Amino acid sequence: MMRAIKAIVVRNLKNFSRDKMKLFFTLLISVTFLFIFSFVMKSAAIGVEKPLNYLITGIIIMTVFQSALSNSMNTLEDISSGFMKEILVSPVDRWQISIGQILSSSIIAVFQGLLIMVMALFMGLKIDLVHFIEMCGFMVIVGITFSSIGLYLATLAKSSTTFQLMINVFVMPLTFLSGAYIPITVMPKFLQPIVLINPLSYTTAIFRYISLQMETLSAAELVKSGVAFSVNNFTILPYMGLFIILAICLTFFALCVYQFNKADFSCVQVFEYRH
Amino acid sequence: MIEVKNFSKQYGDFMAVNNISFSVEEGSIFAFLGPNGAGKSTTINTLCTILDKTEGKLIINGYDVNKDIAKVRKDIGIVFQESTLDEKLSVEENLRLHCDFYNVPRDEVQERINFTLKLVDLQDWRNSSVERLSGGMKRRVEIARGLVHYPRVLFLDEPTAGLDPQTRANIWDYIVKLQKEKNMTIFLTTHYMDEAEICDKVAIMDHGKIVAFDTPSQLKDQYTSSTLKIKINNNEALEEYLTEQTINYQYKDNEFSIVTSILNETMNIVTKFKADITGLEIHKGTLNDVFLAITGREIRE
Repeated sequence: MMRAIKAIVVRNLKNFSRDKMKLFFTLLISVTFLFIFSFVMKSAAIGVEKPLNYLITGIIIMTVFQSALSNSMNTLEDISSGFMKEILVSPVDRWQISIGQILSSSIIAVFQGLLIMVMALFMGLKIDLVHFIEMCGFMVIVGITFSSIGLYLATLAKSSTTFQLMINVFVMPLTFLSGAYIPITVMPKFLQPIVLINPLSYTTAIFRYISLQMETLSAAELVKSGVAFSVNNFTILPYMGLFIILAICLTFFALCVYQFNKADFSCVQVFEYRH
Repeated sequence: MIEVKNFSKQYGDFMAVNNISFSVEEGSIFAFLGPNGAGKSTTINTLCTILDKTEGKLIINGYDVNKDIAKVRKDIGIVFQESTLDEKLSVEENLRLHCDFYNVPRDEVQERINFTLKLVDLQDWRNSSVERLSGGMKRRVEIARGLVHYPRVLFLDEPTAGLDPQTRANIWDYIVKLQKEKNMTIFLTTHYMDEAEICDKVAIMDHGKIVAFDTPSQLKDQYTSSTLKIKINNNEALEEYLTEQTINYQYKDNEFSIVTSILNETMNIVTKFKADITGLEIHKGTLNDVFLAITGREIRE
């Protein structure tokens, strides 16, 4: 049982590491994100203590999110190249296949997050071992959450162009309304409800809470820093956000495995794809 | 080994396969012959557990194809029409992955990979990336992969389509070798007549139905007759004899074409005129003629 999942994960990672162009562009995207965005957006983060670190942490977690979401493209490619058929007619159960795909996609996403994190260390981000481990742990949760959502969308989309479109429709607004680049505190009031239903807001908030070591701050200060959210008289603290993310993670993981189980892959189209 | 009873498959209003029944014995080579769109691939895909049936009963090695899916999958190996290899992995990595999927005992994996690669003459290519292989080699890798978990039945959907004649011949050598060495049941579809001739049993399919099912030689005996072509010095005498015996013939380009299915008749003509015969040729019917006789059309290659 575990053998098939492991085999799928190892195979996907091998393919990822062998595609030199993909590897290069993956790195390039990370570097671009880090440098361009942090310097361009720095002015947007007015009123925030240590604006550079504030943005860097947002960028790290956005990288994990975007990578996890779009990695499901590989699954679509497997289906169209015919390789998926080889797995589908083997005695391996469908749920094992979907778990294998989600895990490998998460590992790649976390790997990209780690790359940025290492670069961020040179740009002035300071973290100790405990926080580093916490950050890694949270990146894994984010990776699994959005890999599941990505694979779920991919099995619904059934064509690479539709999938790309879906991803773009999701990524742009969700990213900019998450506080990753523009602090939530400076956003107009009418956008606040969208911020609250955006899972990425919690993702970014928790990650910042850990990496910027805000454990000592009071609830009011957390709201002011944009890592806690105040709704009417109730404050959603980072640990509550973590439960929300975990709930989303489990929901989509289950949905994705279920959808993959009953999906018909005989009519999937993939077109030439570039990042 | 394979039992199909009253199998039908419908896509919307279209009957792809219409109530067919047949069985395949263990250790034999069985071929589905027919033009594109006859329902061959639909049948093979249903037997391989990829498609659901609309009606009927399909049994492989005692297991119901639609109920004991996992057991059936373990027992069969499949080579699809289109490639399903991972192009970025090497030949050996592809086989190893397959062993993981089919849960081949770990201590046997290397030995089995060596064995199957030797069978298809690809030992020297084991570390090459699949994308660098030629079309024929890829097909051989797929055959090796389909065998590495030692299936009881090997399904080959158009195993030689799109390959050059020499590669086709080689692949056939492997298939026949396999059937002999491993007593494996081989189930294939093809639209090449010469390939169907090698098989033990042939089912001819057209418009979703099996229109004939027998050994190739039986089919030919039943549906075709041989043509005797004779060139002779004494045309008048032969003409007179044939008219007298009421035997059908055609005369064209100094040559008599005599359609005859009775051996005695043929022998009589030959012995009677042997002094005058300058050219002699016997045309046996082919499976193409069988198809023509049954459906009134030719199979397009």
